Amino acid sequence: MANRTGTAQRPNGQTQGKICQFKLVLLGESAVGKSSLVLRFVKGQFHEYQESTIGAAFLTQTVCLDDTTVKFEIWDTAGQERYHSLAPMYYRGAQAAIVVYDITNQDTFGRAKTWVKELQRQASPNIVIALAGNKQDLANKRMVEFEEAHAYADEHGLLFMETSAKTAMNVNDIFLAIAKKLPKNEQAGAPGGGGQGRRLVDGDTGPKAAGNCCK
Amino acid sequence: MDIQKSLLHNPQFQFGAITFFAKQHKGDTCGSNGLPLTPNSITVYGRAQLLKIIENPYLCQYIDIIRGKHERTVVVSQYCGKPLTACLNTDNLNVDNIKKIAYQILKGLEELQKRNIVNRNLSTENVLLMEDNNIKVFNYGLYYMTGNGQYVAFPVMSVLYTAPEVYLSKPSSTYSHPKGDIWSLGIILAELVINKPLWNSLKLGQIIRKIMSLLTANGSVFERITREHNCYEKYSELPADLKDLINSCLTVYPSNRPSVQDLLKREIFNNIAPSPMKTKSKVCKPFQNFTIMEFYHWWQLAGGDVLLELKKQGLIRTSPPILSLPKAVLMDGNILGLERNFNLLYDPKVVLMPLDTLYRRFSHIPLSSYYPLIHINSDIIKKSEPPQYDASNLPLVIREKDPEYQFHRTILMRRLLHGYPFTRNLIIKESEKDIPPLLRGNIWAALLHVKGDYEKEYAKIDKTTPTPTDRQIEVDIPRCHQYNELLSSSVGHNKLKRILKAWVSKNSQYVYWQGLDSLTAPFLYLNFNDEAKAFACLSSFIPLYLHNFFLKDNAAVIQEYLAKFMQLISFHDPTLANHLHNINFIPELFAIPWFLTMFSHVFPLHKILHLWDKLILGDSSFPLHVGLSILTQLRETLLNSGFNECILLFSDLPEVDIEQCVTSSLKSYNITPRSITYRKHQNENEKNIENMDEMGITVQELNRERCPRIHFTDVVKLVNEEKAIIIDIRNPTQFSRYAVRGSLNIPFSSVTFGSPVLESIGPHGATLKNNTEKVVVVVGTEDTDLELFPKFLLECKVSRVCVLHGGFNVLLPVSPTILYTPNSPIL
Repeated sequence: MANRTGTAQRPNGQTQGKICQFKLVLLGESAVGKSSLVLRFVKGQFHEYQESTIGAAFLTQTVCLDDTTVKFEIWDTAGQERYHSLAPMYYRGAQAAIVVYDITNQDTFGRAKTWVKELQRQASPNIVIALAGNKQDLANKRMVEFEEAHAYADEHGLLFMETSAKTAMNVNDIFLAIAKKLPKNEQAGAPGGGGQGRRLVDGDTGPKAAGNCCK
Repeated sequence: MDIQKSLLHNPQFQFGAITFFAKQHKGDTCGSNGLPLTPNSITVYGRAQLLKIIENPYLCQYIDIIRGKHERTVVVSQYCGKPLTACLNTDNLNVDNIKKIAYQILKGLEELQKRNIVNRNLSTENVLLMEDNNIKVFNYGLYYMTGNGQYVAFPVMSVLYTAPEVYLSKPSSTYSHPKGDIWSLGIILAELVINKPLWNSLKLGQIIRKIMSLLTANGSVFERITREHNCYEKYSELPADLKDLINSCLTVYPSNRPSVQDLLKREIFNNIAPSPMKTKSKVCKPFQNFTIMEFYHWWQLAGGDVLLELKKQGLIRTSPPILSLPKAVLMDGNILGLERNFNLLYDPKVVLMPLDTLYRRFSHIPLSSYYPLIHINSDIIKKSEPPQYDASNLPLVIREKDPEYQFHRTILMRRLLHGYPFTRNLIIKESEKDIPPLLRGNIWAALLHVKGDYEKEYAKIDKTTPTPTDRQIEVDIPRCHQYNELLSSSVGHNKLKRILKAWVSKNSQYVYWQGLDSLTAPFLYLNFNDEAKAFACLSSFIPLYLHNFFLKDNAAVIQEYLAKFMQLISFHDPTLANHLHNINFIPELFAIPWFLTMFSHVFPLHKILHLWDKLILGDSSFPLHVGLSILTQLRETLLNSGFNECILLFSDLPEVDIEQCVTSSLKSYNITPRSITYRKHQNENEKNIENMDEMGITVQELNRERCPRIHFTDVVKLVNEEKAIIIDIRNPTQFSRYAVRGSLNIPFSSVTFGSPVLESIGPHGATLKNNTEKVVVVVGTEDTDLELFPKFLLECKVSRVCVLHGGFNVLLPVSPTILYTPNSPIL
């Protein structure tokens, strides 16, 4: 667990930059490509027939940002409205969220707005929210205009990108943009504080700091 | 021996294969939903399934569809007798024979028409004459399975036999009227009458020109054909009724050409007795102890390989890989220079499959094995039965591949299924051994109590009215077990959609939860040609194993289920339970897809089938044991992992050995007293333990209590069987008054719950430490804390710990037999 709360040790004993760990949750209507985005980001793969997610799936990925190593603990949730009641379990204590919609389907954009509202009301106050308009490769079937989504994102202080899990466009970028925006200062969170995957369960009232970081 | 031979060497049980290529999609094209277009060979594969259920004495039965590489499709079909072309130029057929052939072809066409299938491929070559002088039409489904020719790049027709209107219609036209088949019949009959192939020496183009020239013929087309072949005398000598029949078949205008029904009504056929029909039962189809389907399956198990035979006979030619490289690939993904040789797209040659290996392999099987006895009361008769083919010690996968074993199993199970529902208990008994894959669909239906009127029930349900759920169903289906050819075909998609819509519309108290699609998939896969049965199985399965899981608000049901799961882990594997508890790895995070879909969302189909083979035989608690056994298989990894590693493990479930999983689930299922897994939300019909929920254990209590409660009836049973260690934690005064025979008194007040070491509870600790088999029942009263002590035992890694529900006092009125007074001598 040294890499979780400590300073990274290189084999030669030299110390590297900071390691930060963030909990990130993906939300959005079903079949907009949440799991595909994660799969592309974490494994660099794309499955045409990506199975639907029931409950939620968990994956991790590490990115390097200047002298900081950022480890994402990603909760990929089920999109169907019925699984909504499970969602708080996953976004509680999350420092970041990606709300995904499908640019070829106007309804999914509406659903994304609802998620943003819910997050801004109920998630950690400092949560970094990104809006992803996925399936950019199907731009010829576009139903949600870039400008419309962009304006909405600006208005609500969200990061915004159009992505394509299929072609990998903007997938790493959106995660990196989030990583950049997340606070990495020391006072942001006590070592080993909120944000670890285990901290998400019911009844947990552990610190929900906007980022936990260590030297 | 001869009868046995005739059973196996049935001349009707012969089959051959043809092969063709489906049209390839160009480049990297996507459908409107952004998903890649379904390969045409898959579409063909899905459509062709329907052909397999057509059983008609005058049609060769379709047996199997196989997808090869590069959009190749191989069709395996019954093939018996020899083509009528072989009878031409001989004296084999007289006028009566020809009439009979005409009648039988018409009966075959009638069957196809009933199913809206146009043959388009009827020719003298495709009509097979058997030794008993009856015929069977072959290769009648090609036009249908290729979507009226739209999924292949070659025309589906036999040039000589094709009606003129087909040549006149637009090349793009994909619909053909069934009356074209009547024209083909006319040409066949004309050939038979003239007794030689028509325009034998002409080239393809010339033949078509000939047919077109018939359009302008004045008078009888048939007469003109006979004149052209220098045999007008045959025309003039022909009995009027047959002449008339052929003439009407060869009517140029389709609208004037009679239909199948018109022709069948003609007097000419009055004397042709329909082949002796077996007495038709209203209740069930006549019994066959095996069918060509099973015969083919055994043939495959005995080493038969259709693709290999096709290769041997030159129908599949492999070319060096370098030749299959494209000449150029454009930036947009288009590939140039890979056009397939047009002449190789379809080869009408039929390759017969050799059966000798199977005959040899089965030659020693005695006749009595074809008719196994089901109920035997007499020992003498029992002894006369041949000894059972013993393969029970072999692993399941081997048993499923053993032709002889499958022969015995299939013969027996077919018999039992024929007697369903009366034989249901025997079916259960046999299914406990294993389920022969070929009959799995029907056996599951029997185990799930599917009733005879399931088709009618299904027909009544609204499956088409749009509902708000449709969008969800539509996005889920193209993601549901799409590696499977049946489920990824468009026919499969439509069927799955209808079944799901039917289920939602039938069960208004429930809603569609994602996962219901996966749950339906195994049933559809097994009953692909019987949607209604798939639906009936699903409808029986859900109340048994997923009662109330699909309620709009199912939180209480699922939470209880998962809490029970956690308790079951504690009961059987304290070490693992403690670890999971300590790292806060709760089932909510990983087990919802397991139980909501009964593992159908997490395993591939072939594994689900083996898992459900056993699951269907158990009660609603069995799935909990399956969950436990999955954890057990991954135990070492889990114990050495923290939260993140554990949850990662389940996000991408590693290979699970299903046979081992099933075995260990059965083991824990069999040693777990039923009340341990009792749930308040389980189906009322299954509740045979009363009182258990009278106290109403809430979910909060369940989550707090780390050890399960046990019902007193189970305790009494365990005590009588000496399979329990009773730990009485009441104070010594209470204990000395009444106690359970053989129980240990460890007063609650005497224990300090400091560190989890068994020694701290005194001498009895050793008994518990050495216990591996017995159930440890903690008995207290309402005043004693019934959570702390069991939790302590659990932390000391004592397994099988449970708590008597209701405390000691529940034992007093009902079971004085297991009680005694410790302070007085036992009488």
